[in-house]
Amino acid sequence: MQLVRNWFSRISLERIQLELMNTAYGSGHASLSRLDPRCLLLWYLFFAIVPWFLSSFVVLAGLFLLTAATTVLSRVTPFVIVVLCLGLIGQVGWLFVLSLFFGGDVGSALPLLKLTLKLSVVSLASITVFSGMDPEKISDGLLALGLPASISFSLSYGYRILPVLFEEFRNVLLSYRLRGQSPERPGFLYWRMAAYYLKLLTMAFFPLMLATAKRSRTTVEALETRGFSYGMRNPASKKLKLSHLRVAARDIAFLSGTAAYVALLFWIG
Amino acid sequence: MSKPISPSSPALSSSSSSPSSLSSQFSLSSPSSASSLAASAAPSAGEFAVRVSNVTFAYPGSEQPVLREASLAIRKGSFAAIAGGNGCGKSTLCKLFNGLIPHYYSGEFSGSVEVCGRPAEGRGVAELSRQVGYVYQDFDNQLVRPTVLDEAVFAPLNYGLPEYRAMGQRALELCGISHLHDRYVWELSGGQKHLLALAGALALEPDVLVVDEPVSQLDPRHARQAYEVLRRLNRQHGITIIVIEHHTEFIADYCEEVCLMEQGRVLWQLPAAEALNRLADLDRLGIQPPEVTQAAAKLSELLGKPSAASSYPVTADDAEAYFGAILRRRAAETGSPGKEAGGGASAGEAPPSNPSPAIEFRRTELSYRTVRKEKREVLRGLDLALNEGERIALVGNNGAGKSSLLKLIAGIARPTGGDVRVLGEDAKGLSVERISARIAYVFQNPEDMFIEDTVYKEVAYCLKRRRYPQAEETAERMLRAFRLEPLRDRDARLLSGGQQRRVSLAIGAAIRPEIILLDEPTANLDLATREELIGTLKELEAHVRTVVIATHDMQLVRQWATRVVVLNEGVVAGDGAPADVFADADLIRRAGLAPTQIMDLSARLGLKPACASPAELAGRIYGMLAHGKENDSHAARPQLV
Repeated sequence: MQLVRNWFSRISLERIQLELMNTAYGSGHASLSRLDPRCLLLWYLFFAIVPWFLSSFVVLAGLFLLTAATTVLSRVTPFVIVVLCLGLIGQVGWLFVLSLFFGGDVGSALPLLKLTLKLSVVSLASITVFSGMDPEKISDGLLALGLPASISFSLSYGYRILPVLFEEFRNVLLSYRLRGQSPERPGFLYWRMAAYYLKLLTMAFFPLMLATAKRSRTTVEALETRGFSYGMRNPASKKLKLSHLRVAARDIAFLSGTAAYVALLFWIG
Repeated sequence: MSKPISPSSPALSSSSSSPSSLSSQFSLSSPSSASSLAASAAPSAGEFAVRVSNVTFAYPGSEQPVLREASLAIRKGSFAAIAGGNGCGKSTLCKLFNGLIPHYYSGEFSGSVEVCGRPAEGRGVAELSRQVGYVYQDFDNQLVRPTVLDEAVFAPLNYGLPEYRAMGQRALELCGISHLHDRYVWELSGGQKHLLALAGALALEPDVLVVDEPVSQLDPRHARQAYEVLRRLNRQHGITIIVIEHHTEFIADYCEEVCLMEQGRVLWQLPAAEALNRLADLDRLGIQPPEVTQAAAKLSELLGKPSAASSYPVTADDAEAYFGAILRRRAAETGSPGKEAGGGASAGEAPPSNPSPAIEFRRTELSYRTVRKEKREVLRGLDLALNEGERIALVGNNGAGKSSLLKLIAGIARPTGGDVRVLGEDAKGLSVERISARIAYVFQNPEDMFIEDTVYKEVAYCLKRRRYPQAEETAERMLRAFRLEPLRDRDARLLSGGQQRRVSLAIGAAIRPEIILLDEPTANLDLATREELIGTLKELEAHVRTVVIATHDMQLVRQWATRVVVLNEGVVAGDGAPADVFADADLIRRAGLAPTQIMDLSARLGLKPACASPAELAGRIYGMLAHGKENDSHAARPQLV
């Protein structure tokens, strides 16, 4: 019982927020962050799409190894890895249970393993990109690849507003707790407590949305006064924003190295 | 959008004369000096930073115009304040300057606006914003970039200016925050964020800077810091500063002229000292004149010679000279004014021999982990006992641990060392829900407390949830007690600041807690609402026995508290009756407190203990004049007032 309680106290919103911000912005020291964002995004595009069309175990396993290596290079926080593993096990695990239920046997685990590999490759590639580059670089990269300025701005603003939202969410949640009634008895495995907190988490979204809507009034006005919509229509502004992007030798090396490795895999598989 | 634009030359003559004609129409005295400002500012259109002529504007979908024939002319290089009660159109007026009205809000518009000598008509927000920077009241929502430097270069980058980096860095330097350039915005304190919002607006090197209520969201020290930056920008860089402000003491110290607005009109535009002497107008609009001005007015009332064309002092410096002169006039017949010591016992109403205090801290420590994984100590071995029936004010500068202390009592934070005992129990073992049944915690920002969609439901939520008997009757009674009945079906988020504060207090008081904790209850309130809040606090005593307030507001402390606890760097630096604590000048300085004007003046005039209110100061000086020296009966009298 004490174990469960300890677990509960570990998972605090502060901690989740801290980990998320570290994942997003704590990448300045990662070796991948020195790569040009456009190259990394193109690289990601390949690993996000191609695995779905592959069926060779060798190729998939090879890709998995590569993305696992880049994930390590991106210095991801352990928290994200834990979430990923939970997600994968949960996703594929219940499929396996379901297949057993419908008369499958251990043999049905094999295609599921393949699915797991595909999912892992894609997820690890995503983590590499989103953890290895800070949102500013991603947003610049997207802009450079021709996406509208509003999308790339939303991405970086989304991260900027994240701590504010967390803060607000914590307050709303606290407000519910200060004026609410927690279960008298925790119940078996603290299920009553878990249900209580889950309910609060859900209910807290409504006030959060209203508060956000209210604060965004100022934000939108302020964007106007600081020439944001003017800048979106202004090609000079975009050029200036992206002038710091350079494709260097290490970018070429990174891309061609990956290409050679993938070609080798296909040749083997 | 209808915009009957008056041609510029007739507009010039009409607008330059309008402030003076309006003032002579409304004011009781000295029309001649009112027109002198307008006359000196009249000559050419090029000398005006902004000029508004007969603007009437209604927001889309609203029948009532927010601005009604508003006219105003602010000289280039001026430092002007726009004052007025809540909802009188101050912010709306300022949004004319950068074209947000009528370009962004396209309501019913008539009249004309000129910015830096050129008509604003036909120039969009983007173009006007290069000349007019705007800093919002809720400046936190204005910051859209992750790091400080990114934020500073945001505007020049949008305009595609190649030297954007230098511009941003210069703006940061002007605001004195260039050392923070690589920090993330969410790591900054409130004061630093405000300076960053200023820098963001300055990066485009505007001619005019509009700052909406800089004081309301900042503690007094940071507010003064922000004003010092504005003064430097104004004096050294020639930027025209327009602040929306109703804190008259800041107006007196920093502004050159004041425009007073009432119901969408500009009532008058006068030099600051003169404007702040229009006591009748200010009083009618719920704006409190500087404390020293009130004291001077009170004194001349006591002396039986209230002057119509008054010229009372508005700053502490002026007041020192003014009262000093009055006292010196009598000095021949008297010795030096009596400087009696102490007198603090009068305020200590709390039973000192309480065996078990309501709240007790024993060597309490609290530390946080920051984003950069550093440990930050907030409380370092704090010992404190708070007794039942006390009105306790926690004071101290930002980061001294006031809010943390309240959170420990409410069970929201857990001590990392030592003990916290609330109402005889160890707080460590109690959940937030358990503690909150006996101790109510009211947030600094009322909006964070709102979880329902009507005021009635907000107040009743806890009562119903916790199945209090007669929940409905209690909720009704609370609505009556806090004068919320007319607002019962409104959404609390859409109420004014003062109304929101009342709702939050009603929520706190509804469950009849034994202790209520208030975090900065007067922050963000205009002065009329503030006065009202002090009344509400007294009302609260009918329901709650012990009240603890964390505050920066020394006026509130002087008027309300029976005990002051000064926190500094995580420990108790001072503890006692307000008079005693404020008499300790060294402590005040060390703890970074901002004394009120009256406390400051009392010290300069050598009055001990310091006076609590303008009326007290006036009474004591009157006593000194009448009896030759200050005696005890006069010192004690105001505490009964």
